[in-house]
Amino acid sequence: MGPYDSAVSTGSTTSSPSSAAKPSEIDGLLAGAGYKVRSTELHQVAQRLERLETVMVNAPSEISQLASDVLHCNPSDIASWVDSMLVEFNPPVSIPSDLSDFSDLTYIDSVVSPAINQTVCNNSWVEHHTPQQQQQELTHQLTVVTAMEEDSGIRLVHMMMTCAESVQRGDLPLAGSLIEEMQALLTRVNTGCGIGKVARYFIDALSRRVFTPQALCPTGWSNENEILYHHFYEACPYLKFAHFTANQAILEAFDGHDCVHVVDFNLMHGLQWPALIQALALRPGGPPLLRLTGIGPPSPDGRDSLREIGLRLAELARSVNVRFAFRGVAASRLEDVKPWMLQVSPKEAVAINSIMQLHRLLGSGPTRVSAIETVLGWIRSLNPKIVTVVEQEANHNQSEFLDRFTEALYYYSTMFDSLEACSLQPEKAVAEIYIQREICNVLCCEGSARVERHEPLAKWRNRLGAAGFRPLNLGSNAFKQASMLLTLFSAEGYCVEEHEGCLTLGWHSRPLIAASAWQPIQDPVINHNNLL
Amino acid sequence: MMQFTETPPPPLHQITSFSNLPMNNNQIHRTRPWPGFPTSKALGSFGDANCMEQLLVHCANAIESNDATLAQQILWVLNNIAPPDGDSNQRLTCGFLRALIARAANSGTCKMFTAMANAHANLAINTHKFSVIELASFVDLTPWHRFGFAAANAAILEVVEGYSVIHIVDLSLTHCMQIPTLIDALANRPEGPPLVKLTVAGATEDVPPMLDLSYEELGSKLVNFARSRNVMLEFRVIPSTSSDGFSSLIDQLRVQHLVYAESGEALIVNCHMMLHYIPEETLSAIHNTNSSSYSVESSSPSYHRNMFLKALRTLNPTIVILVDEDADFTSNNLVCRLRSAFNYLWIPYDTMDTFLPRGSKQRQWYEADICWKIENVIAHEGPQRVERLEPKSRWVQRMRNANFRSIMFSEDTVSEVKHMLDEHAAGWGLKKEEEDLVLTWKGHNVVFATAWVPA
Repeated sequence: MGPYDSAVSTGSTTSSPSSAAKPSEIDGLLAGAGYKVRSTELHQVAQRLERLETVMVNAPSEISQLASDVLHCNPSDIASWVDSMLVEFNPPVSIPSDLSDFSDLTYIDSVVSPAINQTVCNNSWVEHHTPQQQQQELTHQLTVVTAMEEDSGIRLVHMMMTCAESVQRGDLPLAGSLIEEMQALLTRVNTGCGIGKVARYFIDALSRRVFTPQALCPTGWSNENEILYHHFYEACPYLKFAHFTANQAILEAFDGHDCVHVVDFNLMHGLQWPALIQALALRPGGPPLLRLTGIGPPSPDGRDSLREIGLRLAELARSVNVRFAFRGVAASRLEDVKPWMLQVSPKEAVAINSIMQLHRLLGSGPTRVSAIETVLGWIRSLNPKIVTVVEQEANHNQSEFLDRFTEALYYYSTMFDSLEACSLQPEKAVAEIYIQREICNVLCCEGSARVERHEPLAKWRNRLGAAGFRPLNLGSNAFKQASMLLTLFSAEGYCVEEHEGCLTLGWHSRPLIAASAWQPIQDPVINHNNLL
Repeated sequence: MMQFTETPPPPLHQITSFSNLPMNNNQIHRTRPWPGFPTSKALGSFGDANCMEQLLVHCANAIESNDATLAQQILWVLNNIAPPDGDSNQRLTCGFLRALIARAANSGTCKMFTAMANAHANLAINTHKFSVIELASFVDLTPWHRFGFAAANAAILEVVEGYSVIHIVDLSLTHCMQIPTLIDALANRPEGPPLVKLTVAGATEDVPPMLDLSYEELGSKLVNFARSRNVMLEFRVIPSTSSDGFSSLIDQLRVQHLVYAESGEALIVNCHMMLHYIPEETLSAIHNTNSSSYSVESSSPSYHRNMFLKALRTLNPTIVILVDEDADFTSNNLVCRLRSAFNYLWIPYDTMDTFLPRGSKQRQWYEADICWKIENVIAHEGPQRVERLEPKSRWVQRMRNANFRSIMFSEDTVSEVKHMLDEHAAGWGLKKEEEDLVLTWKGHNVVFATAWVPA
């Protein structure tokens, strides 16, 4: 199996305490029909029966030969009979363990799906309806399979939880065999949407964690990340919500100020800023002098992508008569940025804009000064007029793997569910890769490699409060805008909610992203100390 | 490993050309074009109104092409720069913004209109139902309607000299507000007042300004008023609608024409900003190409401006007065319509600013009526889009095609109108274009008045 056999000491392979059947139990339903099949082998048998039927359907000329040649040595032993039939027609599918391509998704398709489901998965990008039709065709085939297929999704979830629990216990051989079983079970569910799709990604993540933990979590080139981000931005409203909610707060905070400075913790393509520049251009009393400092990772190929974006924004600002200056700060990690690099002037009103960046600071080890405290400290020292914080509304920073797994399963299922409503291609497909990267980071990485350490709003409130920030009410304008824009242009199901001055956007009743605004508390004691 | 670059900020206003930058545009553009905010150089130089128009145009384009991202961004910007209680440009833009939102809501897949209405509290346009007094003071406030009234009444008075019975068909947006002055003038005729028959069509609450009483009630008030001036007034409502070219009205009038043709009755057809509700070619064009979208009976172009005018001609009226707003709202292209409407409807907002204080209730009512029109022009299509203004040149052509000949307004009429304009503030002007009169505000055409007789 994997390289961990020797490392596994105490993990026993006898089953988990949950409701999984004991290995030796014979399935009652089939026993009544005269066949002896073990419950744990049911899915494999069913899968093979299905394959056999397909083969028979596709090769009619050989059926008569089968009919005359075959002998049932032991008619009750279906499993081995089917196996022997299948061996003649289909070589067994092997599962290689090297899964580190950029085109992760299509690779998974070819590995996990046998002939039956191949077209199902591959077509799911192009024609959303085809998987459903294929699914219906599949359900016509074997009545033996039908009962199982309906609860395959539930079984998958169950098995995933069991697997996660084994991972947490360190029982990697069991985890590994569960993964193989799940990958087999995946062939019999529709992995184009719904629970099948979510399961596919989570089983992939588990597989990486168990089989190839030494492989780096796929992080990709920075421009690749920008492309993934841009598609995620287009495919669903979460980032757009983040941008116009933060922009609303920043615009209102800058009211009356003639020199303003925005510090963007993750510039990407600068998608957030054209709208703000335009709104500042036309505000009553005229636009302020706007400075934008964009932080981003250095480009590997020598391109200065920050500067390119800055120049585009400058061009836009010039065309609407807004005096504008841009500075790019290239840093691989936010904690490497020092406040003096931002060159904040005391005369200007500063807005710090953090869209899904603060959680990346939560992973430093216990020996170093916590990165989050450092960064929040220097943010405070800049005395910003407003700090806009947008974060995933999830608890993915728990130390126990099973807890993280469970939470991530719920969170990303909801997110994938909301993504179903998107019809833009290739945006939707690439957005899924973006989400997949996040999932892999949450589940497969540890230590400093795990940057997706999402925490819910309640925890951020505590952290920011403890760091000397007080919450600013996002205001009714932000809520009205968000509601209006989302109801106009997004599918039904998204909902904007307001909680104590913060806004969340979620899918049905589950908030998935939360936006809040903060301001440093002016502490007279500290100021007094500074004077001494 | 950390590296950082410090980019010196580009010198303000002296940013060098970017065309030869080694920008790797491929990867950025391959995904999607950057949100295309208007970046034309002219944008900033003409001031806010032009900017706002550009943003509205871009927003309309984004909505029409289903570019949700760009539409959202522009709507967000517009929401912030065009508050409903700002200056006249902002209020105008706000009206258009609401109309675009309504259009997006009508055409989009979302049906959450209530959620939107809650989120955007002022979205529902509540038009005021005017009492007669309120409508009269609205009419008196500016020459917008008084101009047409003055020109029409003067022309009518001249042409009915010698007639002892006159039949006025008043197709007017302002619900007979023109008539009391005319009755007064008729009462003071040297030869004594004629018998006046007054016919109106339609209801008082189809389009703004809406009245809080019915035509029957209004009619009895008018009859009483006329009696107080010793004028006999007969009042009649013929239920009829502009959407079918007032065909029931025409039919009735045709019968009357047969009966009264020889009796020396003057037939006056006074059209005051009503005819533009009659459908015209652009609506028929849609009907013919999209006949499946609309009900079958309107597939023929018979409900047509020209048909109405030709039918009118067969009645051999003594005079036809045609007064309407001088703008073109008929384009089937949303952006064209938006530009036309934006470049015309700033005028009523501007005049409101000049003549009414902020926060005044009347201003709210009048502006709500304008918003109704804006929403009709922008958010609706097909037969529901009733505000189909055409410029003077096209109406003149139609009248000529229907065998009418235009007549000059007399010098007396012109001086009457001028006299009326003098009662109002500076800014209003009068232009004579051949036989026609045009009311202007700050040099821009507002309303035209034309008079016609059978050719």
